Amino acid sequence: MKRLRNSLHIFLGGAVLSYKALFRWFRLEPYIATKIIAPLNQILFFTLLGTFATGPDTASFYAIGNAIQLTAMSGIYGVTMSIGGERNEGTLIYLFGSPANRLLTFLGRALVHVLDGMLGVVMGLIWAGLLLGVDYSRADLLALALTVFITTVSTCGLGLLMGCMSLLTVNVMFINNTIYFLLLVFSGANVPLANFPLWVQNAAHLLPLTRGIQAARLVIAGSRLAEVAPLLVGELLIGAAYVLIGYALFSWFEMTAKRRGTLEAF
Amino acid sequence: MIANLRVIRTTFELDIKQQAVDLFMIFGVVIQPLLIAIMAIYMLLERDASRGIYVVVGSGMTGLWTSLLFRGTFNINAERFMGTLEGIVASPTSLASVVLGKTLASVSLSLLSMIFSYGLASVVFRLPLSIAQPAVFVASLLVTILAFISFGLLISPLMAVNLSLTGWVNALEYPMYILGGFLFPILLLPGWSNPFSYLLAPYWAARVLHAASSGTATPAEILLSWSMMLLLGALYIAASYRLFRIVLRRARVEATLSLM
Repeated sequence: MKRLRNSLHIFLGGAVLSYKALFRWFRLEPYIATKIIAPLNQILFFTLLGTFATGPDTASFYAIGNAIQLTAMSGIYGVTMSIGGERNEGTLIYLFGSPANRLLTFLGRALVHVLDGMLGVVMGLIWAGLLLGVDYSRADLLALALTVFITTVSTCGLGLLMGCMSLLTVNVMFINNTIYFLLLVFSGANVPLANFPLWVQNAAHLLPLTRGIQAARLVIAGSRLAEVAPLLVGELLIGAAYVLIGYALFSWFEMTAKRRGTLEAF
Repeated sequence: MIANLRVIRTTFELDIKQQAVDLFMIFGVVIQPLLIAIMAIYMLLERDASRGIYVVVGSGMTGLWTSLLFRGTFNINAERFMGTLEGIVASPTSLASVVLGKTLASVSLSLLSMIFSYGLASVVFRLPLSIAQPAVFVASLLVTILAFISFGLLISPLMAVNLSLTGWVNALEYPMYILGGFLFPILLLPGWSNPFSYLLAPYWAARVLHAASSGTATPAEILLSWSMMLLLGALYIAASYRLFRIVLRRARVEATLSLM
């Protein structure tokens, strides 16, 4: 029982502390600019570009795609910086020196970003409804909430993997920026997957978000949970695969760094 | 005068070297415009394959703006963070010359965005690309460079004087893509937003470059766009002159420049 309590404490405490540490330098104003205004600008830009290309009737396609894609802001940037921050701030040495459960420590870094990412998507969907006329009247809100949750978890899975990359390179922001934009291009947020060559479509299905965005569009159009369940299961599996690869890399990094004495060397 | 030119040249050379290996800038100038170009090609060319050059010019403009915004924001602030700002303002060298050299470097490098987008559209996607009025396009590009440099000269001291504005830098990227009409006309926007576009030199730059590349640039259109870019550029420089004075006052008289 005591062990369970300790594990829970490590998981939740680590999650909250890493999130606080990430945004400790943030004041309310820049937080609003980054988490509310910038996402709105992204939705507006790509929706206007999309409607210019394909006509005003398609606004919902782009607005929903970009609103869901916003989860990558927390899932990729947030999670990566939470893990990479341990090294930059010099706390990685204590983390790896402690007997704390590694898997819980690892997963805990993503917990608050899942909540933050979901909040970002909800905000994006509200903007889409208020400013771009997305109609939610036929949506099963519970199914939509589950879709947003699963997509966010899955994207955070990729974030955890990217976070481990941040332990191997100092250029992680370059990688993050590139991954974020690759998701924007190839997840189907802005370009229907059918428009891409077949090999790109296949690669896109290995990314988080791709199935989540498809599912969100279907749910908002009136599909029921059972109809999008295969997409959601696929999305969850993709996320789990990224978490497993990320955790394996995290463990390998710890083992190698301890053996070679390169814990803080890039 | 000659000393100032030497400072501008030296700063330009040094900044080019720094930016060429700065992965953040490489992303902003090369990767991001290319990915935007890929998206725009798949989105815009679905119905009209003749829009290739429009995508090249528009995505190139996004690279120009992103580079100007982020480098402009940190031109002075980076010196502040590294503790070298006091040394610069205490020397007889003009701070504006240093910033001008840096801005010139970022604008010059960011022209690569258009070149890379052209290469992508032409080589990878094999789109037929031609600039219908090449002489007008080149001349407009030169006026655009002047307008962007003057905008950069405004951004740098503005961000140094109002540090809280640097937190907004991520939120300022897309609004210019939208208001500048880089990849779609501002006619799509509500009428009340159009005056904001008219106050932005990048809007006039995008307007004349799109017109010259597609062959719809009339003499009146060219004259209007060039005049607006030069007029707005002059206004930006006048405003930046006042802001530089504030920066220098804070550094030399109030000694508060390094206070965060």
